[in-house]
Amino acid sequence: MTLGEDTSQPRALAGDHPVFIARGLSKVYGSGDACVYALRDVDLEIRQGEFLVLLGPSGSGKSTLLNILGGLDAPTSGSATWRDHELTGASDADLTAYRREHVGFVFQFYNLIPNLTVRENVRLVAQIASDPMCPEEALELVGLSHRLDYFPSQLSGGEQQRVAVARAIVKRPDILLCDEPTGALDADTGRLVLGAISKVNAELGTTTVVITHNSAIAGMANRILRLSGGRIAREELNRTPLRAEDVTW
Amino acid sequence: MVNVLDIKVLRDLWAMRTQVLSIALLIAAGLAVLVMSVSNYLALVGAMDAHYRTERFGDVFASLKRAPNSLVERIREIDGIGVVEARVTQMVRVIRADTELPISGRIISVPPSSQPALNRLHLVEGRWIDPARRDEIIINAAFAHARMIRPGDAIEVILNGRLQVFRVAGTALSPEFVFATRSALPLPDDRNFVVLWASEDAVAGAFDMQGAFNDLVITLGPGAAKAAVIEELDRLLIPYGGIGAHDRRELPSNRLLEDELAEQETLSIVMPTVFFGIAAFLLHVVLGRLIEAQREQIASLKALGLSNLPIALHYFKFVTVIALIGAGIGLALGAWFAVLVIDSYRAFFRFPALEAHLAPWIVALAVLASLLVANAAAATAVYRVARLPPAEGMRPQVPAVTPLAQHIGVMSERGIPMSYLMALRTIVGRPVRTLLTISGIALAVPLVLFGLFWFDAIAHMIDVAFGRIERGDAFVTFVTPVPARALHELRSVPGVLLVEGQRIVPARLVAGHRSYRTSLVGLSSQSELKVLRDAALASVAVPDDGLMLSRPLAEHLGLQIGDIITVEVQEAKRPVFHLCLVKISDDILGVSATMDIAALNRMMREDDAFNAASLKLDESQSRIVWQRIQAMPKIEASSVKALWLALFDETIAGMIIVGALVLAGFGLLIAIGVVYNSARVALQERAWELASLRILGFTRREVATILLSELVFELIVAIPIGLTAGYALIKFIVSLRVRESFQVPVVIEPRSYAMAALVVIAAAAASAFVVRRRIDNLDLVAVLKTRD
Repeated sequence: MTLGEDTSQPRALAGDHPVFIARGLSKVYGSGDACVYALRDVDLEIRQGEFLVLLGPSGSGKSTLLNILGGLDAPTSGSATWRDHELTGASDADLTAYRREHVGFVFQFYNLIPNLTVRENVRLVAQIASDPMCPEEALELVGLSHRLDYFPSQLSGGEQQRVAVARAIVKRPDILLCDEPTGALDADTGRLVLGAISKVNAELGTTTVVITHNSAIAGMANRILRLSGGRIAREELNRTPLRAEDVTW
Repeated sequence: MVNVLDIKVLRDLWAMRTQVLSIALLIAAGLAVLVMSVSNYLALVGAMDAHYRTERFGDVFASLKRAPNSLVERIREIDGIGVVEARVTQMVRVIRADTELPISGRIISVPPSSQPALNRLHLVEGRWIDPARRDEIIINAAFAHARMIRPGDAIEVILNGRLQVFRVAGTALSPEFVFATRSALPLPDDRNFVVLWASEDAVAGAFDMQGAFNDLVITLGPGAAKAAVIEELDRLLIPYGGIGAHDRRELPSNRLLEDELAEQETLSIVMPTVFFGIAAFLLHVVLGRLIEAQREQIASLKALGLSNLPIALHYFKFVTVIALIGAGIGLALGAWFAVLVIDSYRAFFRFPALEAHLAPWIVALAVLASLLVANAAAATAVYRVARLPPAEGMRPQVPAVTPLAQHIGVMSERGIPMSYLMALRTIVGRPVRTLLTISGIALAVPLVLFGLFWFDAIAHMIDVAFGRIERGDAFVTFVTPVPARALHELRSVPGVLLVEGQRIVPARLVAGHRSYRTSLVGLSSQSELKVLRDAALASVAVPDDGLMLSRPLAEHLGLQIGDIITVEVQEAKRPVFHLCLVKISDDILGVSATMDIAALNRMMREDDAFNAASLKLDESQSRIVWQRIQAMPKIEASSVKALWLALFDETIAGMIIVGALVLAGFGLLIAIGVVYNSARVALQERAWELASLRILGFTRREVATILLSELVFELIVAIPIGLTAGYALIKFIVSLRVRESFQVPVVIEPRSYAMAALVVIAAAAASAFVVRRRIDNLDLVAVLKTRD
């Protein structure tokens, strides 16, 4: 592992083609003297199949960046493009279609539907996808085949988050966006969830972006972007990513 | 320093302003009905009491053929008698150039120089008659208004077959003619019935009654025994053709008025109680859900060390503000509708002063009732939430995993869309709440249906009364019984297609200690123009022998089929018969006593005598018909079905429609209050979940479907329940409207059911629309940050 290696140019590690390109992204809240920059003039490319970690403390802009990436928020200036889709200025319907067809989300607090079983939570998303995998298959991928008919309230936090991962990948998304996926979990449980995410990345080739303030998780990534004050302060490449079970914090 | 929780109260109220307003409207609707009903009832009673007292309305009335004025002194000597007013009164006909239709009237003598001692007149326009002029007359204000007659105008009256022209000195209201009607039908006929008051000289002169009287108005002294007075009066008057003294109850106007007030009294208590009760229940449901949706806040406050009391007080303040807003709107709406409804009453009840009046105690009662109901709802909801340990309260409420909820999973295997599955799970996961919401929506339905029902009931009554029972186009009465050839004469008038005679005899029906004064109708069993009908509208044959009574009358007299009834005829020689009750009919027109006309003629020792006739007319020739009939001296009065129907539309229908629209409007408000709040709270509880789904790529429409399919399910279950409950409620309220004049049928047309359902569905759709807009504006980014 060679963490901390500086690169002047982003390099393709997993694939050659950037699937996501951002240029001069800024996000400003408020106006005049009271304005706060969440993002300042960020340029970014994400390549097909890579495992990218956005690392930074609270307020560094990583969530804002993820939101723009996921079509949940619009930048104040700059452009963001997903393949041939221009995300900046897209309509709500276009952004919904983008999320529906291309993006899988994993939330910090799982956000499962409490009155649907594990299988149904996954099937819910499978039903709106054009080419989904079988829900049971997705759940097997995250190691939950034995919990298919449980309700979320009957599962541990880690299990719930793995259901969330299965739910995110069942539609075979092009990009998996994970927002502090282990933030609400203890280390052991967190590793199980990270294992599921990296398995998806490795086996399905899904481009994966994880935002976290936990620098230990960065060890799993192909590439790490450290954000600070709304800018990408540092970009690191990792030629020898760790397996999830080897990550410690 | 301002209590921070009080600031929260204000902020909560503002943040939830739409919900607050809809709940306030719910209270307002319940209160408005209460305020309107009670104050209108009080206004009517107040107006009647004032009118009766001011104009010194008599207690006992008696009619006779003719008695010398000297008899008055003997009457005054009867123990218990207060004031006696003797007068002459007769039916007359009035000729107007503005109509060829018959106008009948009653002329009553009054002292030329002063008001009578009893049944005084309240002058509306003009002045009292000039003692020096015999051709001056006062007419009832309602007729004057309907026919646009002013003091100074001339009026042509046929008295005793002679045409006489009078000059109108004034127009007046009389306590005896609050409802100016000559028949038992519960309708004032202001256009075609007139009451005329002329000087004693003029009236007595016209009817050869100088020095004599044929009508008495009497008040009783303090502590007088009415029955004994009436008995003594009858004894005195029989030699003079007295047809039985009676108390004021039996005067048509007063009977209708008392019936109406008795009914209003029941309705002004029952209906608003039902209405407000439902509103209170719904308030309970809605506020309960609203407060339960704040369970995490309540738990947090408890965790911070606040005891239950300040938390409860906080919510009491919250609901008190809502209740006060509701009470304010309710009082204003109620007072406004009271004015509207009182206005519609004015065409019906002729009082000198009939004003809607909002008594302070009603205001106090309304405010108190709304505060109590709102705070009781808050108390139970806060109690439910506050007894949870804070840690539990702070966790989001998760629907229970019940076996039923598990079982529903099987359905998802069968391709049931997941959105329906989610709705179903929520529904079965919280059965109590689901039940409450369904009852809430269901209860909004009867309120709307109750408003719409009146339209059907009226249409049905008109159809039955004028389409199936009274099938003639017109009805005439004769001054004295006439032989069959008089009917042939009528039949020979061009344009008269069919004539059927009836013999109508005023009679007192006596069974044991019970009695009832009514008209005994003799009808041919072959009658086509008057067909008696049972409840199923099948024709009921007039029995060849014996008496047939309508059910309310049979019940009033405590009679069953086979019982013997005493009939005291109050006409001519006042014969007394004993008849067997052979049939009880279920017609809707209230009280009726019918027998075969031939049998009646035999008992009255008459040969084919008639004093009334139904006519079938050729509508295109009705003008000629009426011109000819006007010229027939033997005809005392006539009425035309088309006029009755028009009259019905103008008076009763108008009055009921105003009330019905008001009720339906309030029902709508309540429906919106329930459905909107239900959907709104559901959104509040599940906003996080729904926003998550939006992030996962669900469209706005799909997310809305998930939330609203719950509402759709509740509607599907609630509406049939509501319609059934509506029928039951209407049946119950109608059962309280037992009155002699007519029975309201519980008839609800399919379109009214459909309309009531549609109104609630429309309320749901409007609510869904508002909620949908909120779904569209869900904050997706917030979902990624916090659990709240």
